Amino acid sequence: MRKYQPKHSALIVIDVAIVVLAAILTGFTVGYLSNHKIIMTLLLCLFWLIAILFAAVLLPAYFSRTVIYISPTEISMKTGIVYAKRHYMRASAVQYVSTITTFMSKYTGLNFVIFRAMGGTMVLPFLGLSDLHEIEDMMRN
Amino acid sequence: MTTTTERTVKQHPLKLFSYTTNYFWLLIIPLVRSLYSISLDVDSLRVWLMGTWMDLLVIGAILIFAWRRWEHVYVRFDDRKISVTKGKIYSTCDVIYYDTISSLSVNQTLFLKLFGACTVTVGTNAGVISRASDNISLTLRKSDADRLYARVKKSRAKSLRYSVTPNKIRLILYSFISSSTLSGTVVILAFLYETSRMFDREVEAQLIMDTLSDVVNRASVYVSPVVAGVSVVIIIGWLVSFMTNIFNYWNYSLTRCSDSLYIKSGLIERNRHILTLDKINSVDLRQNLISKLLRISSLHCDCAGYGETGRAETSVVMPIATEREVNSAVVEIFPDIPSESVYHKPKLDLKPTYQSYWMFYYAPVVLAILPLTAYFVLFALFPSWRSVIRVGLIVAEIPALWLAIVKTLAIFKTGIAVNGDFITMRYSKFYTFHTTVVPKDRIVKVIIKQTYLQSLTGNCSAVIYTASSGTSKHVITGLRLNRTLGFFEKNGVDLYFE
Repeated sequence: MRKYQPKHSALIVIDVAIVVLAAILTGFTVGYLSNHKIIMTLLLCLFWLIAILFAAVLLPAYFSRTVIYISPTEISMKTGIVYAKRHYMRASAVQYVSTITTFMSKYTGLNFVIFRAMGGTMVLPFLGLSDLHEIEDMMRN
Repeated sequence: MTTTTERTVKQHPLKLFSYTTNYFWLLIIPLVRSLYSISLDVDSLRVWLMGTWMDLLVIGAILIFAWRRWEHVYVRFDDRKISVTKGKIYSTCDVIYYDTISSLSVNQTLFLKLFGACTVTVGTNAGVISRASDNISLTLRKSDADRLYARVKKSRAKSLRYSVTPNKIRLILYSFISSSTLSGTVVILAFLYETSRMFDREVEAQLIMDTLSDVVNRASVYVSPVVAGVSVVIIIGWLVSFMTNIFNYWNYSLTRCSDSLYIKSGLIERNRHILTLDKINSVDLRQNLISKLLRISSLHCDCAGYGETGRAETSVVMPIATEREVNSAVVEIFPDIPSESVYHKPKLDLKPTYQSYWMFYYAPVVLAILPLTAYFVLFALFPSWRSVIRVGLIVAEIPALWLAIVKTLAIFKTGIAVNGDFITMRYSKFYTFHTTVVPKDRIVKVIIKQTYLQSLTGNCSAVIYTASSGTSKHVITGLRLNRTLGFFEKNGVDLYFE
């Protein structure tokens, strides 16, 4: 049984994306609502509060709490922020496997494996590219 | 390989209209109306043509495209397989061998009956990409559908093992118990959707609204318009559900041969189904509160394609049966399933703990809070309508109270049991009690879920996904975490991570 965890670089990429998005929204808010100081301040607080909540609390917690175990007979995953969840799927139930790799995913870790069975799917998120290929090979064999 | 008995048929011409768009009817109705209103002379016709030539071209184009699409769909079947070829330039061919079919359904609604057509659905366990690609759905002439049905039937074993036909009084009782306003409204909406694929939606909606307004106006003589409107919707919804159930299950008969189940039913709409026994994923005994008190139930099954073909169709195996009948039916129809796992109160290996009883009241509490919130908001906005709003609140709280009673009973009925190679799951979903029996190897996924509050008391919920053409999940709540993990580990599902 092999153990995998989401790649840390994916967390950094998402965190950067969140900060960039919050900065863009800040720019638009300041540009269009500068005459309405109270609304502008409230919106800015809201944007940055959500950004900090996701970038500094929820996503790090999600990444640190997600553990994947795969063997030739079973796929299991422990994850969850608000809910603690333990997933289990029999490898024999899997009908086919989809993989999603994104641009520069070797560095960003934005790779996903989706196991599709009759009646349910299971997504393994933010895997390193080498981990993804290893899982593919394991399932193929 | 083509055999000598291969038959090639085309779909019923009625199918052509479902290949057009809804806009087709929006165009054609005003055109026909204007043509009807002109006087019968050449000049008027010329003026009409000059004003409508563009619309006529569009209608012609829509009809030609629909006809070309219909023209290039060929259905071929012989003694071993059915194949459907679609398209000329970009051609696809789906081939299904009869021994891979999980269900074959031949349905004839009243509308299709008028035109001598049938809907044929072939269900398989083929794929998981989308439900549309799993099953083949065709509109055939009745004679062609009968031939296909006979071919598939011929490919199955002949030995008759068991046959059952519930009596009519019980069917009426079943229809009465299982009818609800909600399901009636769903049937009406589904009917609107289905017919809107053939006719103009606006015309149809107007017709229904006119009828409803007429009924409400008559009822308003006796009660206030609001109460009359709500009452009419509730009564019509319930009546539609009741009549749909009666029509669907009248003349119901089930026959079991060594490898297949044959189900026939319907008063006006004639439905026939062939289910392959070893492709039935799970068996589900369903009861609502009343039927539980009367100790009667309906037996359902999960088989790809069955119960997915019509607007009011459910995957029923026995519409209504007493405790003893269900027991004997399970023994006869599904001999592999231990009979005690369905009805004879299986000894539950996992049951809710008393610290988790409060979890059963989530849904009733939410359902009770929503009307209460609406009451205060409406009362603040329309203080003069106080008495009407109060009546509305009382009516709206009844479902919450009913659900609370159901959930209270569910506390003592919920749990998981193992009998040989089968797992029995007993749980309640909304107002229905389920006893689902599934072979262990048809469990595809298990999730153990724990909220923060549950973690304080060491409880969890088990979500069990079973093989199905859609998503079939069973949520058993209020279980002890360590016992649940141990139970699943003992049954080959290792959820320990430490």
